[in-house]
Amino acid sequence: MHALRLDHVSKRYLIRQAHVDAAPVGLLARLRQRFARPHVFWALRDVSFEVGQGEALGIIGPNGAGKSTLLKLLAGITAPTSGEIAISGKLSALLEVGSGFHPELTGIENIYLSGTILGMQRQEITDKLDDIIDFAGVRQFIDVPVKRYSSGMVVRLGFSVAAHLDPDILLLDEVLAVGDAAFQKKCIDRVMELKRRSTVVFISHDLAAVQQLCDRVIVMNQGQVIYDGATAGAMSAYSALARFRASPPPRTESVAKTAEIVSLEFIDGAGQPVQMVKTGDALRIRIQYQARVAVPDASFIVFFYGADGALHCQFTTWLSGETADLAAGGGIVEFSCEELGLQPGSYLIDAIIDQHGNHLDWQYRCATIQVNAGRNVKGLFYHPHTWRATSESSLLLEENLAAEPRNQV
Amino acid sequence: MRALSAEEVLSTPFPGRPTKNIRPPSFDPWRIWSAGRELLRYRDLLVTLSLHRINVRYKQSILGWAWALIQPLALMLIYTIIFSVVTRMPAEGVPYAVFVYAALLPWTYFSTIMTNSATCLVNHSGLITKVYFPREILPLTYVVAAFVDFLVGALVLAGMMVYYRVPVTPYALYLIPIMVVLSAFGLALALFLSVLQVRVRDIGLAMPLVMQIWMFATPVVYPLSAVPARLRLYYDMNPLAGTIESFRRVLLQGKPPEYSSFLEASIIAFVLLPLAYLFFKYREASMADFI
Repeated sequence: MHALRLDHVSKRYLIRQAHVDAAPVGLLARLRQRFARPHVFWALRDVSFEVGQGEALGIIGPNGAGKSTLLKLLAGITAPTSGEIAISGKLSALLEVGSGFHPELTGIENIYLSGTILGMQRQEITDKLDDIIDFAGVRQFIDVPVKRYSSGMVVRLGFSVAAHLDPDILLLDEVLAVGDAAFQKKCIDRVMELKRRSTVVFISHDLAAVQQLCDRVIVMNQGQVIYDGATAGAMSAYSALARFRASPPPRTESVAKTAEIVSLEFIDGAGQPVQMVKTGDALRIRIQYQARVAVPDASFIVFFYGADGALHCQFTTWLSGETADLAAGGGIVEFSCEELGLQPGSYLIDAIIDQHGNHLDWQYRCATIQVNAGRNVKGLFYHPHTWRATSESSLLLEENLAAEPRNQV
Repeated sequence: MRALSAEEVLSTPFPGRPTKNIRPPSFDPWRIWSAGRELLRYRDLLVTLSLHRINVRYKQSILGWAWALIQPLALMLIYTIIFSVVTRMPAEGVPYAVFVYAALLPWTYFSTIMTNSATCLVNHSGLITKVYFPREILPLTYVVAAFVDFLVGALVLAGMMVYYRVPVTPYALYLIPIMVVLSAFGLALALFLSVLQVRVRDIGLAMPLVMQIWMFATPVVYPLSAVPARLRLYYDMNPLAGTIESFRRVLLQGKPPEYSSFLEASIIAFVLLPLAYLFFKYREASMADFI
């Protein structure tokens, strides 16, 4: 029995205006634009799948794959252009916490407001009121207008209302990352608890989070389902997707490719190719290149982009002050790193060959690497470090100690 | 009883659970039925949001609820000064202050619905793009809030009628169907305009001006009897003329409403309302994409 069924669902967007800044000024131009033939964009193309009762399905894909459109369709926010979605049971979407909060209203009033907007009955909210307040931990301030709350309190209260919905189907966006560490743990516990009772659809671009929660994964690309199955297979489908994505690299069109990156590989401490490493592990990146002519003064750069799209780190030959002189023909450049500082998550890789500021080749999002938690590291990044302990009596031995090998973390 | 085939078992939804089908939008008249049932399921949201409208409006204002009275009272004073001191306006045998207030009250109710609800969807775009609920609840809450203001204002009218000793006759019971028609007409336009405003923002900008013109085209500050016969045709085309005039007639003059114009207004309101609702539900499906 299915809880959710999508039957050949497509969604078309008609775009009449590409940029807000490009809005025409004159009245005639405005009218012409309004009645112009719109640019057609298919956000979803013929998507069909079913989700069984009690299943936990993850949906991943790069930006623009159609994930948010799918989310909006399932939540009923917008309707498909063709096809049909059948939902059996009460579906609740945790898309954004604090939906419908009003700053002038008190905590209690906002609980009722937000709760009813999310589809609860007033009686149901009254029954759960104590649980909601305690979960958010805002009991002392419950009769104070929400505009006096700290932003953390608002988010906690918002999540708390949403977490008490008791749906048959739970639609999750990346809302789990709210509040401090203690509250985040509470949220994840709550989702795990809900998962036991209801069907879960989790839409994310964080592979690690999806793996943690889901038994089945759908990988989407350009509005279509390209993989549907076990979590393990989804990983390689997603990686392959990132590698072969034909996105034009920025700024390279005008420059002839005198040198080109042929492949990029990650190698672990044991010399084996890997796609998954742990924070603090040794890692090598091996880049194979092909130069058509001799390229003096070349440098290589590797960028690591996080799931949030932000640049997290770079490896480069450029900072060393030394440059590589490439002879015509093939060759290999290898970066190595003793202890990887990146925090757990999935990263997209750009690799670049540069000569005097010209990018001879820019391989855009050419690989992915999954970093898993090593030992539990807190903070923004892991910094390799050493330590030693000294007792006062041994201070005299200081000089001797300094010469001894230090303890590795 | 025959056994269900495997396919039927698979396609049978869970017993006792509502099954919802999301389809491309259509103009199927049955939508009114299913949408109405869904609206009924969301009645608690309607209640909460309406309470919220009423509460929030006067929060952090010193005069608070008095504002619901100040607005019609101030208008009444202005028009009374202009039309009974500066120049004389026939008031059909009652003091001009009561005469004008008895029409300003239903007029303010209607115009508040129009100006607030025309922009209500756009003003709640944050909600509309994030959560699903029947969107007609938003304009409906403005109708409810305006009605509460109307009731507060009605207390003042009652006070004035006692003060000026205006007798009340059983014809005053006509106020109930008159208010029903006025609300239905207001709601129909609110549904229609709010959904148009999503794509054409000019509606909200034009609203205050349109309402100003409409008010002077309606017998609010003057009686319908003062309108020259050659202009009566235009008044017959304005469903509000009959409604507002009837409101004042049954209350102050103790006469029955002008049946023909009131009937016309009723027909317009109750034909328009389902059409507007159908149109609203059709556009609702893609509202989040344009807002």
